Amino acid sequence: MPENQEISLSILKKRWLKFKTLKRGYYSFILLIILYTLSWFLPLLINNRALVLSYEGEMYFPVLSGYHTGAEFGQDVPGEAVYRQLQATWTEADNGNWIIMPVYPYSPYEDITAVGNKMYDPPSNTHWLGTDNTGRDVFARLCYAFNISISFALVLTILNYIIGVIIGGSMGYFGGKFDLFFQRIIEIWSSLPMLFVIIIISSIIRPSFFLLIFIYTIVNWIGMTYLMRAEFYREKSKDYVAAALSMGQTNFKVMFKHILPNSLVPVITYFPFAVVGGISALVGLDYLGFGMPPPTPSWGQMLDVGLQNISKWWMVFAPVSAQFVTLIMVVFIGEAVREAFDPKVYSRLR
Amino acid sequence: MQEGESVGSVGDIMGGGTSILPASAMRELKRFYGFDKPVYQRYLIWLGIWPREIKHREVEFPDGMIEAQKNVGRGNYMTLRLEGDKVSVYDKNGNLSDVWSASIDPDGSDEAMILATIFQTEYSGILTGNLGTSYTYDQPVTEVMAPRFKVSMFFGLTGLFLSYIVCIPLGIRKALNHGSAFDFLSSVTIFVAYSIPGFALGGVLLVIFGGGSFWDVFPLGGFRSPTEIWQELSVWGQIKDQLWHAILPIIAWSIGSFAGLTVLMKNSLLENISQDYIRTAFAKGLQEKRVIWVHAIRNSVIPIASGIGGIIGVVIAGSYLIEKVFNIDGFGKMGFEAIIDRDYPITLGFLVIVVMIRLVANILSDIALATVDPRIRFK
Repeated sequence: MPENQEISLSILKKRWLKFKTLKRGYYSFILLIILYTLSWFLPLLINNRALVLSYEGEMYFPVLSGYHTGAEFGQDVPGEAVYRQLQATWTEADNGNWIIMPVYPYSPYEDITAVGNKMYDPPSNTHWLGTDNTGRDVFARLCYAFNISISFALVLTILNYIIGVIIGGSMGYFGGKFDLFFQRIIEIWSSLPMLFVIIIISSIIRPSFFLLIFIYTIVNWIGMTYLMRAEFYREKSKDYVAAALSMGQTNFKVMFKHILPNSLVPVITYFPFAVVGGISALVGLDYLGFGMPPPTPSWGQMLDVGLQNISKWWMVFAPVSAQFVTLIMVVFIGEAVREAFDPKVYSRLR
Repeated sequence: MQEGESVGSVGDIMGGGTSILPASAMRELKRFYGFDKPVYQRYLIWLGIWPREIKHREVEFPDGMIEAQKNVGRGNYMTLRLEGDKVSVYDKNGNLSDVWSASIDPDGSDEAMILATIFQTEYSGILTGNLGTSYTYDQPVTEVMAPRFKVSMFFGLTGLFLSYIVCIPLGIRKALNHGSAFDFLSSVTIFVAYSIPGFALGGVLLVIFGGGSFWDVFPLGGFRSPTEIWQELSVWGQIKDQLWHAILPIIAWSIGSFAGLTVLMKNSLLENISQDYIRTAFAKGLQEKRVIWVHAIRNSVIPIASGIGGIIGVVIAGSYLIEKVFNIDGFGKMGFEAIIDRDYPITLGFLVIVVMIRLVANILSDIALATVDPRIRFK
C-alpha cells in the first residue's frame, strides 16, 4: 500500500466534518444541546424550593423531598415554607442555620398567593423579566416552556417520522393498489386545515402533553410520506435491492435494513425544519388556548396573556424573543445540516 | 324520560337521562340538534340528499282517537288519521296531502297517548348551498360568512400580492449576486423572518406601534374604524383609514410566505443558471440580460407558480392566529369562535369552504403551472 494513501472516511464522518466547518450551525447545535440538557435540570436551577438547608443541625433537601410546611423550620407562614424569606432571616440571625437556594429562586407556578409576589412587576433584579397577570415569574416560565416546547417538537417529529417512513416507504416499495389507495387518503387528508381540526378535537377532549402529540400526529403524519415514498420508489429499482431480494431477504428486511439507510438524506435534512414546525404549532395552539392544559408554562399562553395586557411590553417580548432565538438556532442547524448532507455547488457561467 | 326529578346537565340531555326540561322542549332540542335520527341520516340530510324535515308541529292522539286536526298556518287545517303504524295527512278537501307528511314519534308516545309529528320535507344541504343556520348569530351560515370572507380576502390577497412583488425580485437579485454582501444580509433577514411566526410578529408590532409601551402610531386592531366614524369619512379619508388599519396585519400576513418564496426563487434560479442551455445561450453570443431575463427566469418561476395554490389556501383560510391578534372580524376568527361557541353549522360550513378553497387553489396552481411551463399541456 502506498504510504501517502489516505484512508477514505465514511460518508457519515465526512458529513459530520463538513457540518463542523459550518460555524453558525455547529455552534447553534452545541448551544442548543447544552441548553436542552440543562433544561432537564431546571428544578435545580430555577425553583422556589431550597436545594439544601440545615435547620437546627438537621439537613433537608426540599427540591427532592417536596412539600415542607413553614412551621417545620420555625417560620410563621400558612402552608408551605417560604425559603427565600428563610434565607434572608437566617443570614441576618447567623445562628448556625443555613440554606442554599437555586440560582434563580422563583418557580413558574408561584403566583400572587405567594408572599411578596406582585402582578405586572416590570423587569428588575429580582424578577429578571418581570411577572405576569397572576404574579408568576416570566423568566422562570420562559425556561420551563423551553423544555416543554423542544420536547414536544422532538417527540412529535420522531413519531411523525416513524409513521411517515412506514407508510411512505411501503407506498414507494410496494406500489400498485396500496400506493394508489394511500395516495387518495393522503390527498383527502392533506386538504383539511390541520390546525383547525386539532382545535376541534382539543375543544372536545382537554389534551395532556402526550394526548396533544397523539392528536397532532394523527393529522400531521403526511409531510414525511411524500419524501419517503419518492426515496423508496427510486431506491427499489437499484441493483442492491434486487440482490438482497434474490438472496431471499424478506420485504421487511429489504425495506428497513437496505433501503432505509440509503434514503436517510431527506429525512435528516428535513428534521430541523420539522422541529421548527412543531414548536410553532405548539405556540399557536397554546396561544389560541387549545394546547397544553394550564398552568403548564408555555410561550403561546404567555403571548396570549401579554397581548391582553399590551402596555406591559415584557410580557409580549419575552416569549416572542425566546421563541425567536430557539427557532433561529434550529434554523441555523437545519441550514448547516442541509449544506453538509446535500451540498449543491452552483456554477455561474460568465 | 321523567320530568323534574333531578338537575340535568348537558350530558344528560345528550344521553337521554333525567332532566328538568319538559319532555316537549326536550324533543324540540333533540330535533334541533338532530339527535332524533341515526348518524348516517343526519349526514345525508346535511349533504342534502335525504329529506330534511321542516315546519314541525306535534299532534296528539289521546287514547282511542284515530283522527286529529292541526292548524298548519294561514287558516289551513290538515286532518291526520291513524292507519295502523302510520299516519296519513289529508287536506280540507279530503285528499291525501302531497305537501305534508306525518310520522309517529316513538319518544313521546305511550299507552295513554300517541304523539305524531306533522312536517314538510325538503332536500336542502351543502349540495344545494344550504349550510344551515348559525346558533350564535341566528342567521344562515352563508350570510354570516360572506362579509367576513371579504375581509379575509382583502388581507390575504394583498399579502399574497405584496409578498410576490417583493420576493421574486429579491430572490432573483440574491441568485444573481450569490455570495455577495447583499446576499448575506438579505439571508439574515430571511432567517429572521422564517424564525418568527406571523402572529408573534404581529404581537410585537402591536406592542411597539399600537400605543401603550412605546409609540402610538397604529390602531390596536380591527378591520377599519367603527361604522359610525367610517361613514362620516370622505372617500380619501376612508382609503387612509383602511390603510392605517391594514399596515400591521399585512406585514404579519406577508412574513409567513416571505422567507419560503424568496429562497425558492433564489434556489430555482441558481439551479437553472448552471444548466447547459444557459451555457448554450451564452455560447451563441446572447447578451447576459437576455439570457437571464428571457431564458433562465422563465424556467425559474415554474416552482413559484406551482406553489401559488397552497399559498392562497393558507392566506385566506389559515389566518385565525393573525386575525385573533389584530382582532379582525375575518373568516378564520369566525371559524375559531364557532368552535368555542359550539356553533356546529358554522364549524362544519367553515371546514367545507376551506377545503373547497384549497381544492380550487390546487386547480389554480395547475393552471398557473401550465401557463408558465409550455411543456405541460392538459390533454
